[in-house]
Amino acid sequence: MHAYDKRELTVHDRPPLSSSSRSQRGLDGFNFFIANVQTGFGPFIAVYLTAQAWTQIDIGFVLTVSAITALAFQVPAGILVDAAAHKRTVGALAAAAIAVSALILAASPIFPLVLGAEVLHGLASCLMTPAIAAISLGLVAPHEVGERLGRNARYASAGNGIAAVLMGAFGWLFSNRAVFLLTAALALPALVALFQIRRSEIDPERSRGGPVDKSERRSPLHGIVDNRPLLVFGAGMVLFSLANTPMLPLAGGIMTMRSSQWATVLIAACIVVPQICAAIISPWIGRQSEIWGRRPLLILGFAALPIRGILFAVLASPYAFVAVQVLDGVSAAVLGVMLPLIVADVMHGTGRYNAALGTVAFAAAIGASLSTALAGYIQDRWGYAAAFLSLAGVALAGFGLMMLFMPETRPMES
Amino acid sequence: MRPVRRAAFVAIIVVAGGLALTGGAPAWAQASSSPATQTPPAPASKAPTPEVPTIPPGTAAAVLTKNKAQAILGQPIVSTKGENMGRIVDVIVDKQGTPRAAIIDFGGFLGVGSRKIAVDWGALNFSPTGKSERITLDLTRDQLKSAPEYEKGKPVVVVEAKGKTQPMPSGEYPLDE
Repeated sequence: MHAYDKRELTVHDRPPLSSSSRSQRGLDGFNFFIANVQTGFGPFIAVYLTAQAWTQIDIGFVLTVSAITALAFQVPAGILVDAAAHKRTVGALAAAAIAVSALILAASPIFPLVLGAEVLHGLASCLMTPAIAAISLGLVAPHEVGERLGRNARYASAGNGIAAVLMGAFGWLFSNRAVFLLTAALALPALVALFQIRRSEIDPERSRGGPVDKSERRSPLHGIVDNRPLLVFGAGMVLFSLANTPMLPLAGGIMTMRSSQWATVLIAACIVVPQICAAIISPWIGRQSEIWGRRPLLILGFAALPIRGILFAVLASPYAFVAVQVLDGVSAAVLGVMLPLIVADVMHGTGRYNAALGTVAFAAAIGASLSTALAGYIQDRWGYAAAFLSLAGVALAGFGLMMLFMPETRPMES
Repeated sequence: MRPVRRAAFVAIIVVAGGLALTGGAPAWAQASSSPATQTPPAPASKAPTPEVPTIPPGTAAAVLTKNKAQAILGQPIVSTKGENMGRIVDVIVDKQGTPRAAIIDFGGFLGVGSRKIAVDWGALNFSPTGKSERITLDLTRDQLKSAPEYEKGKPVVVVEAKGKTQPMPSGEYPLDE
């Protein structure tokens, strides 16, 4: 925490952000605790249900339904957040819904309730991402958005990393059920932090990317599907998530095979190391994006992924894998800042920022959901090296797309 | 790799895939989840009965107390050295309904990097002599780490304990005395 305080001093040397520091701190805290809460879900749920004597068929079914819900609701959630008058209320409802689904999972792991909890969690998560982005945009002046999103990414990564360690320890010391109780409990500080943000400081127009022009209001997706920079960026995100999502699980499989004694610790390190890196460099990326522009940073993030795939393919030592995960931290930090930032750039003045953000997230989620099966098939047929090299190839295609077709989107200084 | 090969004798048992998995195992698992009121699954010389939800009056029933039988799905497994070996997630039976292998979910952290591995049914000890009630496996983490992953609809590679190359005849499972 001392390191964070030192970084804040350098921030204070710069002109202060336009909204109160109380609101800014509140948003920091909300990002941190929501990341805590979200870490409690994810792959860990399969571990919990296995321990509850669930069959693999039932676990697979519930996870599939949950994934489909999260996918199907991305775009509608974005449209909903654009339409909502108070983004803070949307964030509070989503946080409460996630806490409720964690409580249901802890209280009674029976099939219909778990299914309901997973669907609820999927819906709430779809609202959460655009709600946080909308609050951020509404809270600061346009030229401060990069810096604000950098802070978001820092606290989200710190929250993910700390929660992974905390929840691993909790599951080991107490029980798998205790992890879900902790998850639900962490929604409380998230809500407290959220209500530190002054509602009056969130500009409703800025938070949806400008005023909605009533005269040419056609469909909520107008200005999204015919927006060329957005489409290029969206295609890049699909390729990125296609290549990125299966890499850590594949590497985890190798680590379990090559090192029995330290496998658990090494995999935990592989989860935490990128979060530490992202927590450190995200604010810097946010600030540089306002100085250098978005393009050089975006290309840096897309370049890290193919290098990571090749290193996983050629390196033999599971210990080296942990070092390679620094590259994951670089791309996670870049994309964590650039995804909401570039969409804000290209949707400026449309009033459909969150719908566009939801659309890009939807495309990326499709890439992610296809990728695990694809990588699993290649690994099964031709081995781990082939799987990593194929993923590196997909990542390289994403890098090339950004290099050749992605324009600089930083708005001109007034 | 080499010491692992020497230590563990890996046999390939071709199970009539879909039949054993979709038909046998879930029904077996279901029956085992409430052992107090149902016939024990282990000494099965006949095919597993698919459904025994309630026992109507007049039907023969056996009562198994806690120290005679146990539910095993989701149960944690430890090696004889006390290492965490994951949990039982499924059971592979042959055409007679005799358990041949347990599928264990092994390794990983928070669900990342874990693999499903089939281990020989005979390598599992359900009532270890002495101290705890935990299910133990006569294999070590080192012996399992390089084992191939279990996949549905494919020949099942079963990891066997050293010196236990013969599958145990049915009815001789080390249940509690």
